[in-house]
Amino acid sequence: MALTGRVPLLGLLGLVAVVLRPLASTVWLWLLLVAILVTVDVLLAPRPRDLDVVRRPTGSVRTGEATESVLVVGNARRRRVRGVLRDAWQPSAGATDNRHPLRLAGHDRALLATPLRPGRRGDLRALGVTIRLLGPLGLAARQRTVDVGGTVRSLPPFASRKHLPSRLARLRDLDGRAAVRVRGQGTEFDSLREYVRGDDVRSIDWRASSRTSTVVVRTWQPERDRRVVLVLDTSRTSAGRVDDVPRLDSAMDAALLLAALASRAGDRIDFVAGDRRVRARLRSSGARDLTGRLQDVMAEIDPVIAEADWTALVGAVQGLGRQRALVVLLTPVEPASIEEGLLAVLPTLTRHHRVVIASVRDPELERMAAQRGTIAEAYDAAAAERELRRRTRTAEVLGRLGVSVIDADAERLPPALADHYLALKARGLL
Amino acid sequence: MTTLPTPATATAPPETGPVTGWRRHRSTLLIVGALFAALALVVLTQGPVTRAADLDPDNPGPDGAQAVAGVLDDQGVDVEVVRSASALETTALDADSLVVVTSSSDLGTSTTSALLDQVTGADAALVVVDPGARLLDALDVDGGPTRVDVGDGVPGSCDDPTYDDLVLVVDSADALPLDGCFSDALAAQGTIGGDLTLLGAGELLSNDQVLRGDNAAIALRLLGGRERLVWYVASPDDLVADDGVGITSLLPDWIFPGLAILLLSTVLLVLWRGRRLGPLASEPLPVVVKAIETTRSRGGLYRRSGDLAHAADALRAATRSRTGDRLRLGAHAGDAVVVGAVARHVGRPESEVAALIGAEAHVPASDRDLIVLANDLAALEEEVRRS
Repeated sequence: MALTGRVPLLGLLGLVAVVLRPLASTVWLWLLLVAILVTVDVLLAPRPRDLDVVRRPTGSVRTGEATESVLVVGNARRRRVRGVLRDAWQPSAGATDNRHPLRLAGHDRALLATPLRPGRRGDLRALGVTIRLLGPLGLAARQRTVDVGGTVRSLPPFASRKHLPSRLARLRDLDGRAAVRVRGQGTEFDSLREYVRGDDVRSIDWRASSRTSTVVVRTWQPERDRRVVLVLDTSRTSAGRVDDVPRLDSAMDAALLLAALASRAGDRIDFVAGDRRVRARLRSSGARDLTGRLQDVMAEIDPVIAEADWTALVGAVQGLGRQRALVVLLTPVEPASIEEGLLAVLPTLTRHHRVVIASVRDPELERMAAQRGTIAEAYDAAAAERELRRRTRTAEVLGRLGVSVIDADAERLPPALADHYLALKARGLL
Repeated sequence: MTTLPTPATATAPPETGPVTGWRRHRSTLLIVGALFAALALVVLTQGPVTRAADLDPDNPGPDGAQAVAGVLDDQGVDVEVVRSASALETTALDADSLVVVTSSSDLGTSTTSALLDQVTGADAALVVVDPGARLLDALDVDGGPTRVDVGDGVPGSCDDPTYDDLVLVVDSADALPLDGCFSDALAAQGTIGGDLTLLGAGELLSNDQVLRGDNAAIALRLLGGRERLVWYVASPDDLVADDGVGITSLLPDWIFPGLAILLLSTVLLVLWRGRRLGPLASEPLPVVVKAIETTRSRGGLYRRSGDLAHAADALRAATRSRTGDRLRLGAHAGDAVVVGAVARHVGRPESEVAALIGAEAHVPASDRDLIVLANDLAALEEEVRRS
């Protein structure tokens, strides 16, 4: 039950009665009158359970982009109903304007659209539909909250896709035309063409040149059908926030850009995410719209406050196949966690694969090391310097194991990783 | 020798002083004098005392009751006017006395009880004119007066044969919550001792309405029943502080029920606004950990333990490694090599640079020294970078 604004107004009308009959009993009689009218109105109001509420499925949307969720409300009775309906979502779903006036004739249906603008990655849930139906006097209403399930899947925003066109252009530059290329394992013979100035003399095909009057060079296609394995660390270190964005989200951004680029370059992409155990796994196997599927898988992944079990993750990588691959570990270079977990299992990976660690650097650390004004800052700076040194040392150890470390700010990491991939590809090192 | 005439404007001659003083205050003195004259005139020419209160026996105006008082006096009733509670107290009452109270709204709790005590003690009769709700309450009458439509006149029509054939004609009258005559505008109350009559149509005693209908006869039968008539004009001066007459007697009688209605409406307003449209929407909150947090707390730990040696060591090692990188000494150059290279690079004595960044340099003695060292190291790095 709920009252409307007319009830206090009705109460105020009692002033007239009191002026006409200035006795205490008038107040009580008026209160009784109001109570009776409200009770009668509530009893006469239509029942919210007589309405059928069905939600149409809501698709997925990138975080920060607008969509809407549609409710179909049907009146099962002959009676007219009027009132208000609230479609409640969890706040991060950004459901503005979620109160809809209801006016339904008998056996009528209405579509109510609630605009949504998800502000957070993941599956965002509808919390319940509250229906308030007014009585004939408009004094009071029956109210009921029904659970009409519904979710909107908010995909990672993939903000780094702005870097994709320029990297694709670079990829095309690698294609066929340039003869200045070191042959790698995966490079394939493409064609013979006439020598032009600037071509590497080492690529001249002397045997073909002897048959023609001009000098001919061999060109090579960049490697194709290489494997790229993206390993996303969702353990406690990924929960840390850099400028209020979790490291995990920045790492996802980098992974998406690399996946989009590599799939265009004709490589196969596998994806593993996990912490103590494997949380998600995806094999591309030549499917189209890889980034879409990857975003869908990533939407559900949240950081877990637990140490990563690298043995399990490396086991999952090995389980994807024995073919040599570029294994990209998306994990922060945190000396403590790397020394304790990852270092022990890295040799098994590097024996078969080329390994790259992509790490989100915290610019705050350098700021902290540079601030030395007060005694608290001086001690903080000392702590930051120690941490930076430990990181450098860890990176050195990793480098000695044959692992490349890309440590960049959240903004810079996706293009840096993509560039590293392109460089490997150009040198045929995949 | 000639004397220059004194300019009149500069200083006034001494003999003209009193003249200008009189001139300056002449108008004020005239006004004060006129006021005194007027006051004297008023005091001397003042006629018999008249009163302005409604239904006052000395009020000759349309709302007064001088006519009724005069007629009763002429009819041989001993009319005695009492204007204060203390005067009433000194008036001896007996069974042949009738006390009529006008201006009854000025009766307070204390004056009412004193009046009732005196009247019942002497077994006198009491007529209260136009009693308000509060006074009725004090007289043990339940309910309040309500307005009654008199129209062209109301016949007596009651058990009391005194008013049987009379018709009351007044502009407005109050019906009392008792059974009585003239549509309950005149009623006897038996709950207290003695002979108490309540009159809701006080206007019938007023000078300009006493001649309408049978008003004069009603007034004479009501008030002329006994040999002596004590006319008590209640006065607000007799009220004591806790009579509670102050503001409440001046406010309209619907004010308290009206306030109750306002309170009721406020409660309804709260009920209206307080009902939410469904439960609050809750958010499953994510873990919020700042990546920098561990480092910052380690800094706090250094500070709390006051580990100057450790902090200075960390800062010096960082500077050594950065300047070493800058000068391309290789990752594994010894500390002494770095010190030497830096000293040559910036052109400072090697001992000075060693005191700053050397591994064996002395530990700062105080927090202040640590800050100085930290800033000196930053300055040195900057110097290496620039030169």
